[in-house]
Amino acid sequence: MKGKKVVSYFMAAVLMTGICGSVPAAEVHAEGDYEKVVYAFPSFNNIPTEESIASVEEAINEITREKINVEVDLMPLNIAEYTQQVTLALQGGEAVDCFMSLGDFNNCVSTGMAADITDLVDTYAPETRDLIGEEWMKTTTKEGAVYGFPTYKPVALTPMVVYKQKYVDELGIDMSKVNSIEDLTDVLRKVKEAYPDITPLVPVNSGETGIMQAAGDVDFLSDDYTSPKGVLMGESTEVVDFYSTDRFKELCSLTRTWYNEGLIMKDAATTTAAAAELMSADNSFCYVAAYSYPEADTAASLEAQCGNFELGAKIIGEAYLDTSSVNALTWMISSTSKVPEAALKFLNLTFTDKEVVNLIIYGIEGRDYVKDAEDFVSYPEGQDASTVPYTAQLSCGVLGNFFIMYPMAGTNKESLDWELEQNKAAKTSNAMGFSFNSSSVKTEYTAVANVVSQYLPGLQCGSVDPETELPKFIDALNSAGMGSIVSAKQEQLDTWMAENK
Amino acid sequence: MVKAAAKQKKQSFRKSVPLLVIALPAILYILVNNYLPMFGVFLAFKDYNFFKGIFGSDWCGLDNFKFLFATENAWIMTRNTILYNLAFIVIGTVFAIAVAILMNEVGKLFRAKFFQSALLLPNLLSWVVIAYIGYAFLNPETGFINNTVLSSLGKEGVAWYTESSKWPFILILVYLWKNMGYSSIIYMASIAGIDKGIFEAARLDGASKLRQIFSITVPLLKPTVIMLTLMSVGRIFFSDFGLFYQVPMNSGALYSTTQTIDTYVYRGLMELNDVGMSAAAALYQSVVGFIVVVAANAVVRKVDSENALF
Repeated sequence: MKGKKVVSYFMAAVLMTGICGSVPAAEVHAEGDYEKVVYAFPSFNNIPTEESIASVEEAINEITREKINVEVDLMPLNIAEYTQQVTLALQGGEAVDCFMSLGDFNNCVSTGMAADITDLVDTYAPETRDLIGEEWMKTTTKEGAVYGFPTYKPVALTPMVVYKQKYVDELGIDMSKVNSIEDLTDVLRKVKEAYPDITPLVPVNSGETGIMQAAGDVDFLSDDYTSPKGVLMGESTEVVDFYSTDRFKELCSLTRTWYNEGLIMKDAATTTAAAAELMSADNSFCYVAAYSYPEADTAASLEAQCGNFELGAKIIGEAYLDTSSVNALTWMISSTSKVPEAALKFLNLTFTDKEVVNLIIYGIEGRDYVKDAEDFVSYPEGQDASTVPYTAQLSCGVLGNFFIMYPMAGTNKESLDWELEQNKAAKTSNAMGFSFNSSSVKTEYTAVANVVSQYLPGLQCGSVDPETELPKFIDALNSAGMGSIVSAKQEQLDTWMAENK
Repeated sequence: MVKAAAKQKKQSFRKSVPLLVIALPAILYILVNNYLPMFGVFLAFKDYNFFKGIFGSDWCGLDNFKFLFATENAWIMTRNTILYNLAFIVIGTVFAIAVAILMNEVGKLFRAKFFQSALLLPNLLSWVVIAYIGYAFLNPETGFINNTVLSSLGKEGVAWYTESSKWPFILILVYLWKNMGYSSIIYMASIAGIDKGIFEAARLDGASKLRQIFSITVPLLKPTVIMLTLMSVGRIFFSDFGLFYQVPMNSGALYSTTQTIDTYVYRGLMELNDVGMSAAAALYQSVVGFIVVVAANAVVRKVDSENALF
């Protein structure tokens, strides 16, 4: 025990270079006969105080003691440091039993953070397994071993243009005619013509114009959409370098046109302001991004962040599901967990038990939230998200089962049906379930990632000329080892296809 | 004889006990902060796996180092790191000494205190803040330079964040602005330590101010310059991350002149999150830095043995 402490101390010292902050120590509870499970989840709200967390834990424990003979230790961590803190805790040998992959399913598996729970699932979490369904369970299965459950929530991201309603009304633009990213050009031109001082299109994030998400049916094969490498286009099962495709070239020429005509923000490639901030200003009209809610809901929910302008949203493409859209947020059991069975039992409840998941999200009824007859939730009189003792409301899309959480007041229940429907109806990639293990091409990945971050922002924001820059980009990619990545992906995909067809 | 020597040794040790006690916190700090983590160097040669732990993970030879040399970028980032650091050492030292001498001539009046504080202020700002000050100047649409300076001269604005050729100058300027005041303090202290009698004698002999500076102040600063230079030479493979990452606003088009080893490692590993590769990069930088320091010191010892560090 002592030796372990020393080791963990060393490790902390090794890994703390430049990182401040500490992981709350999980105490070892000997009292009672209940197994103790530590549930580390990312919170987008303020982190509540120890006492408020303890009171919520107690409320959950009352349920879990009886149902599964387990006590839980909630560990809400700030979203910005979640990955770091969980990694650090696992390296230091601290107890974290349940954690979330936060976008990096493959990494969690290939570095051995996640435990193989294949043999436990049927015994301890059959309800969750059935809820997720065979198709989606494939995304968290690797080489025959199950590593977790994807968060059950609206995952079908539909590309949309989000715009300020007043300009559309004044100019009499018919947004229903805008059905693709290309259709957007005319709208932007009209706005520019009528209001020369306006920047019609702003980026979503620095160097990100939304065109990658509106590119059509592209399976990014485990890469982030902001930095794709080898991809599958549409129905094809041949892995290709996304940047050499005609589709990418078209998109670059499109944004170049926008740039030359002044339709897109000039410093879109370098600005550090994100869409919400840019839309709050008077001189912007729209941006393109992908959302998982219906048009009207999306627009309504964004208004508060976007300077209270009246917004509209129009879908400009179809949702497309690939493995990472499902397994990006996967709940896993840590490989260092001493109580994997208990952890899995608890995880199962976060997917199936309405009371448990709502306690984690909203805290204690009456103190942290109030609920009306139809189960719509709002904050107690005179309170809001930042003043109640406990809330993790903004994490609703990352914890367990979104569809059994109480809805917030102001949303409507039909939207939930739409979202559930989208999940089922969305077009699905041929390689759904396949995930790529990059460990054989780590060196190339690092090099290619650098090249992509060098060229991609300029190209997708139109600030450089694709005629001259795109060939340079492709050359640089090839010399950085894009070819090896593509062939490694192809090889793994072929093997996977052979096993799964 | 032997006894006497031993006694003397004991005495000198006893004398230095208070000094050792004073130094203890700093020594402890160095031990904990700089030596303890060294324990982890072997991670650079391991394929880190959480389940297997640090000791159990598989050895992978030099695989973790490959990414540093894999591409033509390797050459660019190494060149940038070294050239920038050389420029900082040379230009930085010249400016710091110049400022120190000027400050010394201003005297001990209120204005001296004022200039000192004003020069020191930028050093207290974080790189993120400085990056935004820079952005206020260089923003292609609303920035001060394009919007006020260049337009009043009737010139076309420059897309600063996409033109890499301008950045060596901008970065050096920003570096000087931030660090000049701070590094001049050490030189000011050295100048204050020069015997006033020497200047007096020179004045009596009719030496002009300039003569005094070049024949007395500068030569007497030599040991300080050598020491500080040797110290910065040891970090020639490291770069100030904030300067090279924040100030150019992480703009991809500028990589050819702003990419350094540290930013390359950061950008590359942001996606992979690989403990072994990060350790490899740091080890590589430290080892090369160590070799360079020893080599530089050897040169100094050859040329001017009194001023060598060891």
